[in-house]
Amino acid sequence: MHDLFTEVWESVRRNKLRTCLTGFAVAWGIFMIIVLLGAGNGLMGAFNQSSGEFASNSMMIGGGSTSKPYKGLKEGRRIRLVTSDMDLMKKEPFSENIDQVTTSHSQSGYTLTYGKTHLNNVSLNGTYPGYADMNRIVMLAGRFINEKDIQDKRKVIVLGHLTAKNLLKGGTDYGRLLGEQVKVGPFAFKVIGVRRAEENRDDRDLNVPYSTIKTIFGLDNHIDDITFTFHGLPTEEANEAFEKELKAAVNTAHDAAPDDASATWVWNRFTQNLQMEKGSKILHTALWIIGLFTLLGGIVGVSNIMLITVKERTHEFGIRKAIGAKPWNIMKLIVAESITITAFFGYIGMVAGMLACFLMDKTLGQSSMEVFGESIRLLVNPTVGIDVAIEATLVLIIAGTLAGLAPARKAAKVRPIEALRDE
Amino acid sequence: MQIELHNVHKTYEGAQPLHVLKGIDLSIEKGEFVSIMGASGSGKSTLLNILGILDSYDEGEYIIDGRLIKGLSERQAAGYRNRTIGFIFQSFNLISFKTAVENVELPLFYQGVNRRRRHELAMEYLDRLGLKDWAGHYPNEMSGGQKQRVAIARALITHPQIILADEPTGALDSKTSVEVMELLGQLNREEGVTIIVVTHESGVANCTNRIIHIKDGIIGEIEENREHKASAFGTTTVMK
Repeated sequence: MHDLFTEVWESVRRNKLRTCLTGFAVAWGIFMIIVLLGAGNGLMGAFNQSSGEFASNSMMIGGGSTSKPYKGLKEGRRIRLVTSDMDLMKKEPFSENIDQVTTSHSQSGYTLTYGKTHLNNVSLNGTYPGYADMNRIVMLAGRFINEKDIQDKRKVIVLGHLTAKNLLKGGTDYGRLLGEQVKVGPFAFKVIGVRRAEENRDDRDLNVPYSTIKTIFGLDNHIDDITFTFHGLPTEEANEAFEKELKAAVNTAHDAAPDDASATWVWNRFTQNLQMEKGSKILHTALWIIGLFTLLGGIVGVSNIMLITVKERTHEFGIRKAIGAKPWNIMKLIVAESITITAFFGYIGMVAGMLACFLMDKTLGQSSMEVFGESIRLLVNPTVGIDVAIEATLVLIIAGTLAGLAPARKAAKVRPIEALRDE
Repeated sequence: MQIELHNVHKTYEGAQPLHVLKGIDLSIEKGEFVSIMGASGSGKSTLLNILGILDSYDEGEYIIDGRLIKGLSERQAAGYRNRTIGFIFQSFNLISFKTAVENVELPLFYQGVNRRRRHELAMEYLDRLGLKDWAGHYPNEMSGGQKQRVAIARALITHPQIILADEPTGALDSKTSVEVMELLGQLNREEGVTIIVVTHESGVANCTNRIIHIKDGIIGEIEENREHKASAFGTTTVMK
């Protein structure tokens, strides 16, 4: 190995300029691969972040309007879900797959008061215990709403941590708020927990038991939508079949045709995630392909320069063969040189690409866009991991070998009588 | 009997096929110091290529130490060249970007000898040829005679049975030529290596013990030359 690299170094050293020029194309190719993949990762990261706050194995079902007449009822009739639809999901055959069933109802435009502190524009969000799992709620102090709260229609409330911080005048010992009384509009609640929240998204949604809000506002049995978590539906087909069955059951309960597609709607986060994953894979592959094609230019350059090297060194290879070099010894020299050039400049490109990703993370990665009052980050963590670095290394070694192969075969075919020819 | 050629033919194919060797019969004993003489175009270079297993032949037999050298793969041929034959070339054929000692090491490198061992051996041989102080120099820093001595060290280092010298003095002045030929004669006497010198100079041929004349692709006269009658770089024959 040492001898081989000494030889390679001797050869490269004699042709510094052209080696660097050729190497630049390789470095550029790898740089592009890394930057493209980094940006792609950032983009997918941003998508995932906006959907990451929900449990991925959940579905939401809501009422639409009928598209066909059924049981003597006209088409175009509006379907509104009722609380008894939730019980439907807790029974066979759906209970086999469905875990927790919740619904929620929001009333907005209230002012939150604690002592002398007032916070405008908060909303009361009546919900069930299952909401915590479905929305991946992380409690920072106290607990979330439980079944007992629902049963007893307790006037308890869970605050977002930024709101809590405001109430504590910048303090973060959220535990101090537990058991305290706050007022939302005219209604008094006891704080039972503080959860992690995000500004401009869910911080101002204060969670209270659904039964409590129903009583306070005198809501009827109608609900907007039902969300539930499920298990045991691994494929898209299984999900589709399940959705169809569920819709048929709900439709029937509301005197709509079981196969009426628009009477109720289902939003399945699981299949949506599956599709997003598929999309992310396609994006990833597409970026690799673009990057590899960029790299191809560099590889052709290396191959070309190796051919020139072989031509220049024909006499030398003749001498080597005359004194006992086997074809393989000569091939090894050229392939090793090709791999060395590709790998060396490839690594420069890789490091530069990672630096570029780092800069991208520090600049674009920190900026966000306001969309419908929600802030969305353009790129989240636009970097590449160690896996990509390993893959890129493999690509470089393979590319270097390929680039060196044709010239090396040519070199191995040099006849030893070339040695006798005068230079 | 070390080297035997029976009815060796060689034709270079091409638009106009060239029949260069037309049935060479030759035998050279172990430890001989012979020269093959001929004008350019006589086929002597082709004969040398075949003797050195650098090229193949079409017909006949070439036998070294009872082993038929025919239809070898590139690998096998490389092995024979490496272990059995040492080459000395007219233009020295040292690798320009390697130092003297690295050039001498090279055949051992292809034998797979480890770095330290082959460096030791190469230094030993350079010392024998009086070039110890030049070990770290590149070929372009040396005189012609020094370069040829480095090449001789490189040829000797594998202990070959045969040394093939192709116009070994062709690029040297007459004083250095004499030195190199004396060195070859000394190697032949002291080490018993078979040395075959290919030349078109009668003075060079005269240093050897037997002169084989080749003309138009066949062996002509074979002179015994034990007494080296003609003075070195003869007065009676054509000289450089």
